Amino acid sequence: MRENVHNGSDYTEGLNQEDELAQALGLLDPAQQDPSYWVRFRSWVVSNAGAELARRRLVRELTVADVMSSWARAVVSTAALVAALAGLLLVRGAGPPALQLVGVEELLVSEVEGETIPTLLAPETNGTVAFAAEIF
Amino acid sequence: MSLNRSDIPTDGDLVQRAKRGDEFAFGQLVERYQTASYAVALSVTGRHEDAEDAAQESFLVALQRLDECRSPERFAGWLMTIVRNRSRNLVRRESLRHTDQVPPGAQSLVPLPDRVAETLELREMLREGLAALPEVQRQIVLLHDLEGWKHREIADRLGLPSGTVRSHLHFARKALRASLSGMPAGPDLQRQVL
Repeated sequence: MRENVHNGSDYTEGLNQEDELAQALGLLDPAQQDPSYWVRFRSWVVSNAGAELARRRLVRELTVADVMSSWARAVVSTAALVAALAGLLLVRGAGPPALQLVGVEELLVSEVEGETIPTLLAPETNGTVAFAAEIF
Repeated sequence: MSLNRSDIPTDGDLVQRAKRGDEFAFGQLVERYQTASYAVALSVTGRHEDAEDAAQESFLVALQRLDECRSPERFAGWLMTIVRNRSRNLVRRESLRHTDQVPPGAQSLVPLPDRVAETLELREMLREGLAALPEVQRQIVLLHDLEGWKHREIADRLGLPSGTVRSHLHFARKALRASLSGMPAGPDLQRQVL
């Protein structure tokens, strides 16, 4: 609602005052003194935004296939690395077989794998051992 | 060939295209809101140079943060918030810097032609009149009278009720008229304003 609007002429005067005030405020528009001001303003902003716009175009150009292929490259190289490490560990782990520890009780109730007494009693074996085996 | 209303891209369309790096779309957004951004920046900083810097930087910041603009159709309001914040930061920095400023009357020793001097004087008084207003009233009166936004557009983009915008505009104009009517100028200049 406008203030002090009592009749038609006041209303028109109020409108004119507002138009004139708006016109006066137009003096603050830089284009009043420099008509090409806004063109230069826009050019400055757009040219300074060039790098960010280029980055956004680049991101957009990365298609799904690009993303998949870059993912696959990463996976393949990681898998190759893991395989190489595993191979290295296997090679390092292939030493002399570990000693089999057998407890005395186990020795008494179960058969020990390995050479049997008949083998020990073979002619080429030491006689002392064969004798001990006979006593046992 | 005239463009139908449906042929004019909406802010939402332009924002989506600018997000993909479309320079033309971004340029259109700048063109659409450069005056409004300047008006808001001027309402905060009160100085042309600062307003220009703040408005230009705000567009660059807006582009960098475009993915954070959740409602592209409401780009204008979002941009105005950035402009306001950038302008306030700039004012804060400037006030901390305490640079020696040239007094307004000492800018030129060369006598100016009457008409130019009158315009400069009027501009200075407008600045003073605006400076005396609350920030929100400065924004509203500049967006309305400098940029030509309607009440509803201002309300929508500044996030204010339409009635509040009308009220602020009314009081801002009244205060500006009062401030300008007291200016020590000849009747021609007063008639030019009032």
